[in-house]
Parts: sequence; C-alpha cells; structure tokens
Amino acid sequence: MKPTAKQVGTGASWPPEEGRIITFKSVSDVKKGILKEVRWGLVWRDFILEDGRVIPEHKILGCPEPPVWRKANEVSQDEREAWERRLVSMAEAGLDPRDREQSFWAELNQYLAYTYLRFKQTAHKPPNAER
Amino acid sequence: MSRPHEESAEEQVWKLLSEAGLVDITLDDFPERIKEVKHVVMGRLSELLELTTDIQERQSAAYALGTLKKLETTLGVDTCQPSPGDRRDPPKRLSRAE
Repeated sequence: MKPTAKQVGTGASWPPEEGRIITFKSVSDVKKGILKEVRWGLVWRDFILEDGRVIPEHKILGCPEPPVWRKANEVSQDEREAWERRLVSMAEAGLDPRDREQSFWAELNQYLAYTYLRFKQTAHKPPNAER
Repeated sequence: MSRPHEESAEEQVWKLLSEAGLVDITLDDFPERIKEVKHVVMGRLSELLELTTDIQERQSAAYALGTLKKLETTLGVDTCQPSPGDRRDPPKRLSRAE
C-alpha cells in the first residue's frame, strides 16, 4: 500500500477520490484496498482497486444508502452490445467467473442483474415502454 | 435521490434483485442464475412474439438470449465444480444491512 493513501472516514465525500484506501465487505471478512477508479456498470458503479480487484459500490463501507443505480433504459444499445461481446470473449478465453472480485465476475454479475431487470420490468408494459 | 418516491423505486429494484439472488452472486451459483435470467428473457420474448409493434426489443431479447446461451455453454461444465473454500449454500438473499 502506498504510505500516502488516506483512508475514507465518516463524512467523507462520495465517491472517494482516487488513491484513497477503501474498506469493503468480502465473503467472510472486511478487506481494504487503494481506489484507482470508479466506473459505471450496467446497473451499479464498480470501484476498481490498484491491484485490479473490482468491488461493487454497495459492498464498500460508508456507501450512502440506497446506492445510486442506473435504470435499464439508460443503457444504450451500443454499450449493451459491447458489454455482451466482452463477456463472451472473456468466457471463450477461459476466464473463470468464480475468481471473485475480478473483472469477469463483476461484469457477469452486472449483466445478469441488468438483463433480469430489463426484461422482468418490461414484461406486461406497453410494447414501446423500454425505449 | 432523496425524494421519497425515488427511494421507494430503488428499494423495489434492490428487493427484486436480492430475491433473485443477483445482487451478489455466490461463486457456484452462476450456472443457476444464468438459467433463471434466460427463463425471464424467454418469457418476455414469447410475449414480444405475439406483438407486431416492437421488433427492436424482440431483436435485443433474442440477442440477450443468444449471449446467455453462449455464456452457459462456455461456462456450464466448469462452473459446476466448487472452488476451495467456497460455500454450497442456496442463493444468498441480501439485506441492506448486510
């Protein structure tokens, strides 16, 4: 860890700035990492750490509740198709989604959540409700 | 974000995804979650096939279904095997406090 990194404390602005130490809930414990980038996914924001781990915003301690999520109709067709192509190529490259906190796990999780919301919520609505 | 009706909508989305086990997919649940999402897309697609008005949504549903099938085929066998230390619990239902 960089000695200059500052920990996100109570009352810190959200999302934290790059270089800050963030604390997040993992499977069985709480972990820390240095924030490199915050990136919007298809539903929620992902926090990318300097070591490459990808943490969904709602797992970060100190995340405001409820977290801000995108609506399915805010995702463009181009963005969705690029996401789908990326997922398929990661799968074909032999990446394992069980590598938790890695890119493939994060992207597949978001894609399944997004696709579920998109079609679950548009069911029984007027045919042009999505666009 | 702070308006009551918006929070309510966000809570509903959270609840919907949590109940479907899709907020935080446990490591061995991907094959089952993919199957469930496919089922939802197929349900919507069958509704759309009865309509003649929204060809674009029908095409994107079919495309999503194709993507899910490719992912299922590519990942299906390998992801059924547990990784060391992983749990075999049923889908995790998250609460906000978790």
